[in-house]
Parts: sequence; C-alpha cells; structure tokens
Amino acid sequence: MALLQISEPGQSSAPHQRNHAAGIDLGTTNSLVAVNRSGSIETLADEAGRHLLPSVVHYGEQDILVGQQALDLQADDPLNTLSSVKRIMGRGVEDVASLLNVLPYEFDGNNESSVPRIITRQKAVSAIEVSAEILKTLNLRAEQTLGEALSGVVITVPAYFDDAQRQATRDAARLAGLKVYRLLAEPTAAAVAYGLDQQPDGVIAVYDLGGGTFDISILRLNKGVFEVLATGGNTALGGDDMDHDIGEWVIREAGLEKIDAVMSRKILRAARHAKETLTTQNSAPIDIEHAGQKIHLILQRELFDSLIADLVKKTLMSCRRVLRDARIEREEITNVVMVGGSTRVPLVVEQVGEFFGRDPLTKLDPDRVVAIGAALQADVLAGNKQDQEMLLLDVLPLSLCIETMGGLSEKIIERNSPIPVARAQEFTTFKDGQTAMSIHVVQGERELVSDCRSLAHFELRGIPPMAAGAARIRVTYQVDADGLMSVTAEELSSGVKSDIVIKPSYGLTDVEIESMLRDSMSHAREDIEARMRAEQQVEARRVIEAIDSALAQDGRELLDEDEFAAIVAARDELSSVLEQATADQIKAAIRQVEESSETYVARRMNASVRKVLSGKNIEQLEV
Amino acid sequence: MNHDSKQNYFELFGLPVEFQLDTRLLHDNHQKLQSAFHPDRFVNATDQERRIAVQQASMINQAYDTLHNPVQRARYMLRVAGVETNDSQTTQDASFLMEQIEMREELDQCRSCQDPMRCCDHITGKLEQRSAQYAHQFTELYSAGRYDEANQVSRKMLFVERVGEQIDEYQLEIEEKLF
Repeated sequence: MALLQISEPGQSSAPHQRNHAAGIDLGTTNSLVAVNRSGSIETLADEAGRHLLPSVVHYGEQDILVGQQALDLQADDPLNTLSSVKRIMGRGVEDVASLLNVLPYEFDGNNESSVPRIITRQKAVSAIEVSAEILKTLNLRAEQTLGEALSGVVITVPAYFDDAQRQATRDAARLAGLKVYRLLAEPTAAAVAYGLDQQPDGVIAVYDLGGGTFDISILRLNKGVFEVLATGGNTALGGDDMDHDIGEWVIREAGLEKIDAVMSRKILRAARHAKETLTTQNSAPIDIEHAGQKIHLILQRELFDSLIADLVKKTLMSCRRVLRDARIEREEITNVVMVGGSTRVPLVVEQVGEFFGRDPLTKLDPDRVVAIGAALQADVLAGNKQDQEMLLLDVLPLSLCIETMGGLSEKIIERNSPIPVARAQEFTTFKDGQTAMSIHVVQGERELVSDCRSLAHFELRGIPPMAAGAARIRVTYQVDADGLMSVTAEELSSGVKSDIVIKPSYGLTDVEIESMLRDSMSHAREDIEARMRAEQQVEARRVIEAIDSALAQDGRELLDEDEFAAIVAARDELSSVLEQATADQIKAAIRQVEESSETYVARRMNASVRKVLSGKNIEQLEV
Repeated sequence: MNHDSKQNYFELFGLPVEFQLDTRLLHDNHQKLQSAFHPDRFVNATDQERRIAVQQASMINQAYDTLHNPVQRARYMLRVAGVETNDSQTTQDASFLMEQIEMREELDQCRSCQDPMRCCDHITGKLEQRSAQYAHQFTELYSAGRYDEANQVSRKMLFVERVGEQIDEYQLEIEEKLF
C-alpha cells in the first residue's frame, strides 16, 4: 500500500484477502445485522429464526438480557427494561424530561456528566451503554454465523442526526469493541439497497419513517455515485408517536385518571398491537387488564387515520422543504423509496404516493432495507467488491454555527453542504498577552444560539502572548464523512498550534469513555495497555509498508537527497522500536515518520490530482 | 489546507478561469476527484493518509461549491486576479441603490397583496433577468481586466441572490400555510 495511493474505484489494496464486514441498522424499535454470504447480502437471524432484534435491554440483578427476552419482561418490569433509547442518544438531561411520556424511566438527576443516566436495579446507564449492549449482541450473532470475527462495520444513523447523536453512536460502537468503517445515513443506505438492482440513473426520494425518527432525503444516482442533494426530517417523530396518539385516545375513552408505569407500558403495547393490526384490517380490538381494571375498545381505521393525520402532515411539510433545498421539482423524482416499519401504515403510503404523484417502491422489506444497504457499503469499504464502482456522497444535515455577541448564531457551514467539508475563520485576541479563548459551536438553522443544539465548547490554549489584536488565530472546523466535527486552531504569525480542550454539551468526555472501556473489560489494566500496544504495532506496520512502497515508486523523482534520507531515517527508527517499545513510544515514532513525510505526501497528492483528471489509468502510471 | 496554494480551483477541475463555465464538466470532474480522494477509499490506510484524504476531499468540495454558485464563482475569480472582495464595502452606484430600495419595497408589498404567489413569481422573473444581465456584464468587464468595475457588478449579483433567497423562503412559508 502506498502513501496516498490512488487506486481505481473499487480496487482493494489487499485483493486476495476476504474481509467479513457487516451492516448494522441500530433502530429505535428493532435492530438488524446484515452481511454478504457467498455473494448475496442477507440479514442474519437468531437461533429462533428471528431477524429483527428488538432494541430492548433488560438489566437484572447481575445479568443483562438483550432483544426478545428483554422485551418479554418489559410489561412486568418496565423500569429495568430499557427501550427506544435511540431517542435520547446525544441528548441532555433537560431533553429527557420532555420525553418522559414516551420513556417512562427514572433518570439520575444529580450526576456530573452531561449525559443522562437511567437508573436500573443493576446500575445507572446511559443510552450509549444500552446501545453498546445491542451492538454487542448483533456482533456476536454475525461472528457465530460467519465463524469469524468482523473486520469492520457500517452503522446507520438517521440522516437528520446531529453531531452529538452521531458521536454517541460512534461511542457506543467503541464500547462494543467494533471498528466502524463509516456511519451511513439510513435513507442513503436504503437508496443503495434499491439502487443497485433498479434502473441505474435518476432522482430518488427516500421517505423513512421509523419508530422514533423521520428522515426525507433526495438523492441523485449517476453511474454508481449516490449523491445526496438535500436531507431533512425530525429526530423526534415516528411510530412511537402513533402509539402514543392511540394511547391518549384509550385513556380518554376509558376515562382513566391515575396511570402507573406498568399500566402505561400495557397501554402502549396494546396501542402498538392495534396499529399493526390496522395495516391489514379495518378495525382492531384493544384489550388491557391491570390491577383489577379491564379495558375493551375497538379502534376503527378511519379514527386511527384521523389520530395520526397531523403526524403524517408534518412529515409531508418536511418533504416540501427538502425538495426546495434540493432545487428539485416533484416531477423530476423518478422513484420514491419507503423505509421504516411505520411506512406499513396505509395512510402513510397513500399520502406519500399522492404527494409525489407516483406509487412508492415497497418491494424490499422496509424493516430490512437499511441494514442491507449498509452491508453493501461495508462490503465495498472492506475491499471485497473488486468491480463495484460505488461512491456515497453525503451532506451535512444541519448548519454548523458559532455563538457570537448577544447570543446570536453565525453560520460557518451551511446545511446540505457535501461532506467532508472544512471552513476556516480568523480571530484575534482582545487583551494584551491573551493566551486562551473559547468557541461555542452549535448546530441548527435558527438565529438565536438558545434555539439551536449546543454541540461543544472548544477552549483554545497556548496562543503565544502578543499585544491585543496582534495574534491571528485561524480556526478550522472540519466535518468528516461521518458528519462528525473537529476543530483545530493555529496562530498564523508564529505557526503555533493551539491545544484544544473539548467540552461536549451532550456527550461523554474522553475520560468517561476511557473509564467505561475499562469497566467493560473484565481484566486488569495491563490488558488495556497490551491492547493499545498491539493497535499501535498494527498501525506502525501499515506506515512502514506505505512508506516503502511509495519511496520505491517515486521517492527519487519527488524528493531531493536530504528529504529522502530524513524519511528513511524516521522509517528505520520506527522499524527498530516496533517490537519492544511501549504504545506511546511507537506512537511518537509514527508521528516522526508522518512529520518527515508531510511534504512528500503533498507532492504525491498533487501528482495524483493531475492523473485523475487526465483520465489515464492510474494503476499503470504508478507501476 | 494541504493543497498547493498555487493551484486555483479552476485548475483543480481542469477548467479555464472563465465565468461561463461548463457546469456538466465541473460536476463530472468533481465526482471523478471525489471517487479518488473520498475518505471511503482510505478505510484501511494509515491514520495520516486518512487525515489527508479528509482534508483533500473537503478542499475538493469547497472548490466545487465555490465554482458551482455563480456569485461565489465571480468573487473567487476576482480574488484569483488579486482583487479584495469585501462584503462590507458599499456601492457608490446611485441607480443600483434606488433599485435595491425598490426591490425591497416590492417584496414588502408582496407580503400584503392578494395573490402573493403570483407577486413572488413576478419578482423572481425580474431577478432572473437582472442575473443574466449582470453575468454578461461581469464576463465582459473581467475579460477586459476592468476588475474594480467587475467587483461592483459582483456585489450587485450578491444582492440579487439574497433577495432571491428571501423570496424562496417566503414562498415556502405561504405554501406551508396553504397546505
């Protein structure tokens, strides 16, 4: 592998090795894992043949149950059986309060972390840890089926997830010990699943109504490139709300006054059952028994439709806006794809069809289509698809802004900008000798910071002391392909890079993650050290291999004698410490190689850009 | 960023520095470059390579965004020619100032008139006419090397774009109310 080797699309760096990669749909209600098994993408079932894993975790005295077993305990032990935690991923303590009717849990009110913890009889847990349990179960299922460990996974998130929600998902994967190739937007995954066996090019609208989230994305598909044009939605709208609408109707009809947690669970369960029945029937019975109370009601489809009319209308409003953002007319849409269990509701299919003026595609199982698309992408990223020219270009769902004077937000990166994306801004100091400053980053479209989602406070330290106004600090906001933001800062006149301390508004700090990781490992500290060392060794070997191959190709062409010698020296040093050094020492040696080869990499990059556009076969050029 | 500062965005996409550009070719070359540099192509590469790929792909996207939008393209061309483009500079052109005031008034009236949709369409039509006119002027002035005047025109283009955005937003509001 060469340093920034540009290979033809789809060509893997290690062509003979087959990597097992999986796609994971981490859903509000259900989760799934899909893999490529001898050429076809399949979702995997448990021993009982069930593909859907209910996203439910039960915390007992000692043990933790995940999935159907947990779900079975929910009605009787609601407070220790956690479901729909996706709704509080990346959310703060105050957000949780507004969700109490949907998530009837007890929250730990006085902990120092910004991440809310749910109190169970075993321990207080965050949504991230609960999600990690679900991911572990899916990972185990994949490993048992394949008989081998997974090399990496693609995990889907709602397109409309903000930075904090995406970060929380990544953290959950880290706790579960998974290597994440990519976080992929759910609608994009669905489009991939449909796109590859449909006619190739066109404009696709993906309407994704899940248990707790709604997404609408417009994509252009052109020769294997899926380009998201615009995305919109609502991360707190979904099938759960339909259950809740029915539940409220039940409470009104039955004239209930006091409702405990168990009753509330039973009502919601009956409501969901009725909703499911109404996808094929015109009426559904609702029977609930609790503490000597008996409720019997019949819900007619027409009434159900009127209960959820507002919800469906809200989703169509989002569709309008996203069409406008994409600068696409309704007539230009060539396909409408339906995703998410809630699109089984007849009123939804009917109204969406009417809105777009064409029958939505429902050929693939709306519950599985996202996992299948994710697995396809995972397979490509793992380097298994030699001939597949597939590329997914995503966008930033919500604008990134910083707080300015008077609590106003200033947009740095507009929503629907293609990612990865970076923008730089210059600041100066306003006091003599000032060495630190703080930047508050928020996400959203509104003018007031208080109406946007706070992401983090970045504290820049180590600005060289100068007279007020003399320092020129360039702050770069970088959003990667996962939609995750990072910030770097540099004082331009001195070239000094600032240290940045991140205080996430609704996320775990590195220290918290570290301690959770330690807790999750059954062994002592040495094990963690050993693991970190092994990871650095793998990285070091990768670096050496990349340098060797690059130097052999064009080192003499692009470097003078001194530059060449400096890189070789750093490379040899790394190679010599590789076997005995500690993780930190290996890391430092890798850093040395990186620094010495910085210019070289830039030169190779420029050479590559020219080659890409000249249309020549790059592989041949590099031989 | 990690790109050669001597290479401008036009060169990156293999295009001549001209206002009237081949948008099809821009789009195709953007996808070609992303196909090569997108971080998804570097999943199993070293940390350094992955970092650089993210930066490079970001730069390609920024370059694309800049050239794709006519107003930003014009202003970028001026920067390539060494002209400062500053939003806070005000125009000295009296007739353009009058026009700005008229446009704003029309937009305000639109909010209270009987048929706001048609009213908006009417203004949009005018704006499109203006855009075409300014684009033409800009092209002429720029190729004649009259950058200061071209800069004035680019500011008019920016104004027209902003009014257009306001109308878009307003039309969406009306639609949502009717809906």
